[in-house]
Parts: sequence; structure tokens; C-alpha cells
Amino acid sequence: MRKLTVSHDLQSEIFAPTTPPPVWTPLTKALNKCKVGFATAGGIHLKTQKPFHTAGDFTYREIPIDTPSSELMVTHGGFDNSDINKDVNAMLPIDRLRELAKEGFIGSLTPVLIGFMGGGGNVEEFRNRTGPAIAKIFKDAGADIVLLTGGCGTCHRSATIVQRAIESAGVSTIIIAALPPIAKQQGAPRIAAAHVPIGSNAGEPNNKAMQTAILKDSLNLVGEMKEFGSLKLLPYEYRHNV
Amino acid sequence: MSMTKEHAEQYKNDPAVLCCRATKGTVIGPAELEDPAIFPDMIDSGLISIGPGTLTVGEVLGATLIRDVDGLTALTGELLEGVKAKAASPVQAVPAPSAAQSAPVQSGGVMRIVAQQITGLDMTIPMGVYAGAPAAECPGEKEWDEELGSLEKREFAVKEVKLGGKTLFENGVLTIREDIVRDALKVSSLVKKLEIDIITPDKRHVRTETVMDVIPVATKIEGDIGSGVTHILDDMVFMLTGVDEDGVQVHEFGSCEGMLDEKVIFGRPGCPDQNDIIVRVHAVLQRLTGMERRGPYAAHKACDFIIQEIRDVLKTKSATEASKTEILKSVRRHGRARVVLVKEIMGQGAMHDNVMLPSEPAGVPGGRQNVDLGNVPIVMDVNEVRDGGIHALCCIGPATKEVTRHYFREPILEALAADEEVDLVGVVFIGSPQVNDEKTFVAKRLGALVGTMNVDGAIVTTEGFGNNHIDFALNIEEIGKRGISVVGVSFCAYQGQLVVGNKYMDAMIEINKDKAGFESEKLAENSITPDDAKRAILMLKTKISGIAVAPSDRKWNQEVIDQNQKTANAIV
Repeated sequence: MRKLTVSHDLQSEIFAPTTPPPVWTPLTKALNKCKVGFATAGGIHLKTQKPFHTAGDFTYREIPIDTPSSELMVTHGGFDNSDINKDVNAMLPIDRLRELAKEGFIGSLTPVLIGFMGGGGNVEEFRNRTGPAIAKIFKDAGADIVLLTGGCGTCHRSATIVQRAIESAGVSTIIIAALPPIAKQQGAPRIAAAHVPIGSNAGEPNNKAMQTAILKDSLNLVGEMKEFGSLKLLPYEYRHNV
Repeated sequence: MSMTKEHAEQYKNDPAVLCCRATKGTVIGPAELEDPAIFPDMIDSGLISIGPGTLTVGEVLGATLIRDVDGLTALTGELLEGVKAKAASPVQAVPAPSAAQSAPVQSGGVMRIVAQQITGLDMTIPMGVYAGAPAAECPGEKEWDEELGSLEKREFAVKEVKLGGKTLFENGVLTIREDIVRDALKVSSLVKKLEIDIITPDKRHVRTETVMDVIPVATKIEGDIGSGVTHILDDMVFMLTGVDEDGVQVHEFGSCEGMLDEKVIFGRPGCPDQNDIIVRVHAVLQRLTGMERRGPYAAHKACDFIIQEIRDVLKTKSATEASKTEILKSVRRHGRARVVLVKEIMGQGAMHDNVMLPSEPAGVPGGRQNVDLGNVPIVMDVNEVRDGGIHALCCIGPATKEVTRHYFREPILEALAADEEVDLVGVVFIGSPQVNDEKTFVAKRLGALVGTMNVDGAIVTTEGFGNNHIDFALNIEEIGKRGISVVGVSFCAYQGQLVVGNKYMDAMIEINKDKAGFESEKLAENSITPDDAKRAILMLKTKISGIAVAPSDRKWNQEVIDQNQKTANAIV
């Protein structure tokens, strides 16, 4: 082959983030007709369930939708837990979800929500086993939408892996991220993010108005976002002092 | 486990950052460490900072924390005991995107092996490659040119265009029958009104509605598109503009209505040239059909009806009246690097469509629309493309769309066709479907197709930006994973930043020309130019030759583009 004219001084001109292939399930129903589920990687479980292993755990806990929030707790070593200890709705807004179903903003809720601990999560386990298992629970329950939250950096990675599994199963998803760049880089189909610290993704503890607004905005975005990898910053701000 | 053992081994020379909060006495294993693959995003978002004293993964494995440490902390000597002896120096601050550190491939000269310690070495060096002087040319097929066919383009200069009683072309003066617009209205009931006027080069400061297309006037004398003889009118071009009955511009992502001289980048491959006479056809479409596939298509058909009457006159001209004749040979260049040009076009209905291989060059009737073909890849001969094989129904913003004239003189195609170092085997057009599953389907077909072409390299371009970048990434991946060198060409800059990517997108050409990196709503501003083609082809040849292209900066940086241009201009 003839020698080609080359240069040793060229640099690529466009940054291409290395993301996994797109997954996408469009939402085709009105929100008030949708069955909604929620999964959190933030280490939430029933006080009566076995706590997570904080150095890495790919098991999950089923949380019945009628569980009083006072019976939930967090086991997660990757971030400051004080906000969740004050109000578990900051990570898993179970009370707010029930209120939204009652007022008719959404159609109904899945019988169980899912808690897992994504910190230091084993990628292969989450991708091949935990993600598909959680996806199946929501799919079998007839969910139209699943919202997710994550805690620390690797926790967002685990949450995004589970999110992708649910989306691949044919359920529209959105992650309410505290670390949106990680969710985006890991291939989250839809991302909402308020200006909140890790641990209060779903809004300031005991701030019902903010938690409701973040949930409603995120739910609306599921239908509004038309492209894989869409990210919307939400106009709510909360800073905590640990 | 944040990282597996294997992962930690792979990243042993990268900075060590604790993934989650850990207590005093914790022995650092792969499980405690954050994955270096996601550091750049974490640095960008301010989640971690990696100082000059940060130890590497290899150094900290097995060491013990001497106090409680928060998650996402870069590990330094003060936090640990039992740190391994330094394999190398500590990490040099934040890993900034840097120029290539690649080992250049030496095509001649000597091979030098330096080792401090070596045992049991068993090397086989092929004779002939390093044995003699000019090692540059690999043994292989002999160079020779095989002529496959040719296209004769007879060009007729136009001095003046006027409206009159009958369509005529005599002595360089084109007369267009004034009442032709009345007949053209019969083409479609969706076209409610048509106007025609002439814009000479000295009268560019006129109001225009959004430009839907720029179309050259050409007609077949002998043969099909891509072969035989074609007559072309020079120094003039048709321009189609459109609104609907409510005055809504026929456009998608931005429109370019305004003063013509401010809204058109004259001289771009797709635009009128500075000295071209413009015949403007303005269509008013039935209300609310501007964003339906049938509306814009009706406008293109009506405009083509007018052009056809000129084509019919042009057919009667003899070869001796041509002001210029060009023979474009279709040549297989044996013994040269085989390359393919892949043009991603829109395929989502409305204006997102193209007519392929119409009966007349750059025409409409007789062609097939890529949306109807399911957007699957379609291969065209190089001469088919430059003989008007694509009529663009145009889409996306004015600045990034490729209009019909663009394909008539596509800069990368022209440069590859003229380049004797390569063999341009053909041009593949692939649509960008609306449905995600179909995107994967067509991209996989592209990969399989290009895989059969036995090519060394491919340039993949796309018009527009946004969801078609998902196709763009898939198309590049499907070709790249077959071991074929790929260069990607697109508008991304600020507004069109890629949302998806993969490891094959490591040699990319940015075609933005807007200072702020936006869809500027100026016709063809951010489309491919001959300068862009020069950089793209040099980058492709470099990649084919096994020479590394330095990784991009993490954000759009005009200086990188300018520097590449300087390099390309100096060499090419």
C-alpha cells in the first residue's frame, strides 16, 4: 500500500464521553394514569430487615408501599446519614409518593419499593443479576415509571445500572441525582437534579414542599424528555451543615 | 467492590481515591477505591480534587488508614502507613488532557530496544520490514489505476437571468416563463402560492424567508445519474424559500429569515457563490403542513417543476456551446488505502428526508426517499453523488443542514476522489431514524456493509445535531469495532456537545464556525468546508498508518481546531 501523508501533531477536536449504548422507553401515558415505582441505592430498608454490608452489597430489600416512614432506616457508609436519619423522605420519598397518588397526580403506586446499597457496588453483579431482578419486580407489578435516587459516587453508578436495567425492561425511568455527571457518564436515560447534597437527593429533610416539587418536576420530565441522556437541573436549593 | 482486582491492576498507575468513608485501621483493597475511569467527570463537577501528593492505586493497595477518612478523598502518604515503595513518582497533579505521547511509527531507520533487565527473550523480526532502507511501502498489491467509467459535465455559463414570455437559454441569457408558477401550483394542492424573482449579486441586501434549499440546474443528456453526459448551468442557482399560510417559517431547529446577505454564508459548498445569480422560488404552504412530511415535499416538487422546464431547454444545447467541459473519471486505485465516505442524513419525516437518485440531477421525481427505505444504508458511486444523486429535503437548523447543492460539491468526497494516495470505494448514505431500536438496526447494517468492503478507513459525517448524534456514535462504533480506522465529522461545539460516545470516537473533526459554538441560523455556516475536509483526511490517513491522534480536550476548544488546520495546511 502506498505510504500515506500523516502528522504526529494532530489532536481530536470533539470530546466524546464514553457511555454505554442508549436505552430508551418512551412514556406513552398521562401521569394520572401511570403506576409509579421507586428504587433507591441510598441504603434504605425496614428496621426489621437485615442491614446492608457497608463495604459493598448487591442484595436488595423489598419495601411494602404501606410501610410507615418511621419504620425505615438507612445503612450506608458512603456519605453523611444525618439528613436521612431526620427524614427518610430525603432519599426515599415514600410519604410524598402516597400523597401524590391520593391527590391523583399519579395513577397508583407499585406494591413494593426497592432499597439497595449502591456504595462500592460490584458492577458485574448489579449489571447481570441485581439490576434485572429489580427490573422484573417493577415490570411484573405493571409499573409505567420508576424513579431512582443514589448516594455516593459509586452509588450513583449502581443506581444508573439498575435504572438502565429497568428502562431496558420497558419501563420509563428517571434518576433524581445528586451527582448528575456520574449518572450521565454511566448512561442514565433521564436525569433530574436539584442543588442538594448527597443524601438529600429528593429534597431537604422535613421540607414537604420541596420534596413534593422535586418529585412532581421529575415525574413531568419523564414524559417531556425526548432524548437519551437528557439532564435537567431543578430550581431547588438546600445546603446542610454536617 | 468499587474496583475488581483486575480493574485495580489495570489502573495501578492512576491516582488512588477513596470511594466511601472508611475508618482508621482499614486495609486498602480494590473495594475501597473509586474507579479512575470516572475521575474526569468527578473533577469537572468538583467532587474530587487530585493534588500533587496523591499516591497511585498500585502504591496504596495493602496500606492501612491511620485515621478516619471521608469518601472521595485522594489518598496521600499522611493518611496511610505501609505504603508500597514507589513504582514511579507520585501522580503529577490533575491529569490534564495533553498532547499525544504516542510512540511514532518509524517507517525507516533502526529498531532500538532498551531494557534494564531481560531474560528469556525470543524475538522474531520479519525479514524485509526492517532489513533494508525504504521500509515505508508495505509489500502488497501493485499500484495501478482501473477506470470503471466516466461522467462528462458540460457547463454553460449564465450571464443574465430574466423573466419573460417563454423559457429560453440563448447566448448566456436564461429567460424563465413568468407564468410558469401558475402551472407549478398544479403539482400539489398543498402549495397555495408561488412567487419567483431574480436576485443578482449586487442586490443581496433583500428580505428573505427561511431558505429551504439551494438547487443547481442540471440535466441528463446521456446515461443515468453518475455516468454519461450532464449539462449544467453555471453562475446561477435556484433558492427555495417557504412559509405556511399563517406566515410560519418552514423550518425545524431555527430558521434563517431576514436579510439575505446576513443570513447566507455565500461560497459554502451548499450556498450560492458570491457571484451567482439566484432564482428565488417562494412557496406558501397550507397552514400547519410545514412540519409534516407532505408540506415541504410539495414545495420541493413545485420548485422542481419550474426547474424541469429549464432542464428541457438545456438538453437542446450542443456540446460546442459549453463554456467548460470536465470529465470525471470513476477510478479504482489499486495498491492504495481503501476508504469509504459515510454520510449520515436525516430520516425522521417532515423536512428530515432526502430523495435519492432522482431521474434528473438534483431533481425530485423518480427518486426514492430514505425514510421510505427504512433509513438503511444505501451505497452510491462517487460520480452518482456529484451528478446530483441526492436532492436534500433538508432539516435541522439552517447552519448545520446539508442542502442539495452541498452534495453536488461535497468537499470531503471531492478531496478523497482527487487524492491519489487513497482509493475512495464509494459513498454510503444512512438515515437517522426516529425510533431508538431502528437506530441500532440501521447502524448494525452499516457495520456489516462496511465490513464487506475491505476498507482500511472510513470518514463518517452527520448533518445536524441532537438525537442524530446517537446514530452518529453507533455508526462509528459499528465500523470501528471491525478494526477499520474511523474519523467522525460533525457540528458539536457548545450547543451540539455529544451526549453519547464510545472508544472508537477518538479522531473527530469539529465543523463549527460560529464564535459561540451555536446553531447560528445562518445558512450552511456550520457545514463541511474544504478546510474541514483537509483536516479530516489527514486525520484518517494518520489513523490508518497507526499513528496516534491525541485525545480531545474535555470541552470544545477552537485552538485545537486552528492548530490542526495549521498542521494540515502545512502538509497537504
